[in-house]
Amino acid sequence: MKTILYDKHRVLGAKMVEFFGWEMPIQYKGIIPEHHAVREKVGLFDVSHMGRILIFGPDAECFLDYLSTNKISGKKPFTATYTVLTNSEGGCVDDVIIYKIDNTHFFTVVNAGNREKDLEHFLKEAKNFDVVVQDRYDDDGILAIQGPKAIPLMTEIFPEASQLKLMRFVPVVYEGTEIILSGTGYTGAGGFEIYAPQQVIDTLWDRILEVGQRYGIEPVGLGARDTLRLEMGYALYGHEIDTNIAPTESVSAWTVRWKKGEFIGRSVLEQLEKNSHKRSEYGIVLVDKGIAREGYKVYKDGKNIGYITSGTFSPSLNKSIAIILVQGELQEGEIVDVQIRKNLCCAQVVPLPFYKIDKE
Amino acid sequence: MKFAGTHEWIEVDQEVGTVGVSEHAQEELGDIVYVELPELGREVKAGEEAAVLESTKAAADIYTPVSGVIVEVNEKLNDVSELVNESPEQAGWLFRVRLTQPEEMNVLMSPEEYQKVMRE
Repeated sequence: MKTILYDKHRVLGAKMVEFFGWEMPIQYKGIIPEHHAVREKVGLFDVSHMGRILIFGPDAECFLDYLSTNKISGKKPFTATYTVLTNSEGGCVDDVIIYKIDNTHFFTVVNAGNREKDLEHFLKEAKNFDVVVQDRYDDDGILAIQGPKAIPLMTEIFPEASQLKLMRFVPVVYEGTEIILSGTGYTGAGGFEIYAPQQVIDTLWDRILEVGQRYGIEPVGLGARDTLRLEMGYALYGHEIDTNIAPTESVSAWTVRWKKGEFIGRSVLEQLEKNSHKRSEYGIVLVDKGIAREGYKVYKDGKNIGYITSGTFSPSLNKSIAIILVQGELQEGEIVDVQIRKNLCCAQVVPLPFYKIDKE
Repeated sequence: MKFAGTHEWIEVDQEVGTVGVSEHAQEELGDIVYVELPELGREVKAGEEAAVLESTKAAADIYTPVSGVIVEVNEKLNDVSELVNESPEQAGWLFRVRLTQPEEMNVLMSPEEYQKVMRE
């Protein structure tokens, strides 16, 4: 499958890769320059492979609250909430952001690889609620504009951008069409995401690149998207969260709000809390030379305690960073060993995020 | 100003205590995107959860350091949640409680004691 911007990526010289059935740009100029462009100036991402689902009806709010680990009920209109969606075995179906328009109108954005699965999950659970679930998979595209220059850049196109805050969204009009501008992102660099019909995404991509020239904008691929999110310690489905990893065992454990009402898999998760086999995820930085990669085994006192869920060389920190999923608890500063091919390399447990944004 | 071990501060004026979170707490939490404030008139006991601060990487329960009745909340935070990050110990106050057991203040830490505990 291709997004509406496929040809434009090819023209820009992107190296394409197959990602869950989608032909996506992994890089244009290179992962490292693109990563730095986002941290220092502004980057533009085509993330139209992700999918948007509308949920509306009298039970929309309690329906979404029931499917989510985080509190959805009682949030204010035009707020965006990050949450994990669980299954009845206490595993993760996906991690999504849920956007509230009003008490009976919501939409959510799901990961590309989970489009079919999530839609099926929503439709199945919706049978018990007075709610309508409608996908916009073939209609919409999604762009992300991330970096310290994102606000001044986007304000030139949408004056509303200067007032838009983190985890808030607003409908705006572009050439006669209503689209959504949200203060969300996956990079920690600040900025926006845009949800719009495909044709508008196509026009906006060109416009943003044009206006962005004087801000040093670069198109950014999935390669840098991954190094950016990993520096922030954000989960990637299929790595830090999955059907066989409980949300409470992951870096997204904070989304589980025990004080709220019933949600799918709650009782399984409650049981897991008392179980000594419950695992945890931590950030590590390699002390020895090397790159700690996904799948590598992690040892403590000679015992295999787990493995790496994601690992890379951090362009902003110039260090090898990774997230590990292990049995038992570890303390900040504790040393573990990572098996990198034939060698056992030392790594230190550090708090997340790995990369801390300097506030002026 | 006195501090609780759970990083809340309280400043009492004529039996009404203003409660917020410390500089240390806001730094740990990161950018606050959502604030849940208690209902006016609610009776609370010392140590009870009274508010929730949600950031991009955490959802933290905020506990009232004292027992009493909630008499005011910082409505501004509904629109400007980042005030908690910018001015956690002043403009970013969370709620006000009328104390019913003022002696509870005695078990709280002084700013110096709190700083010491933080450094450990």
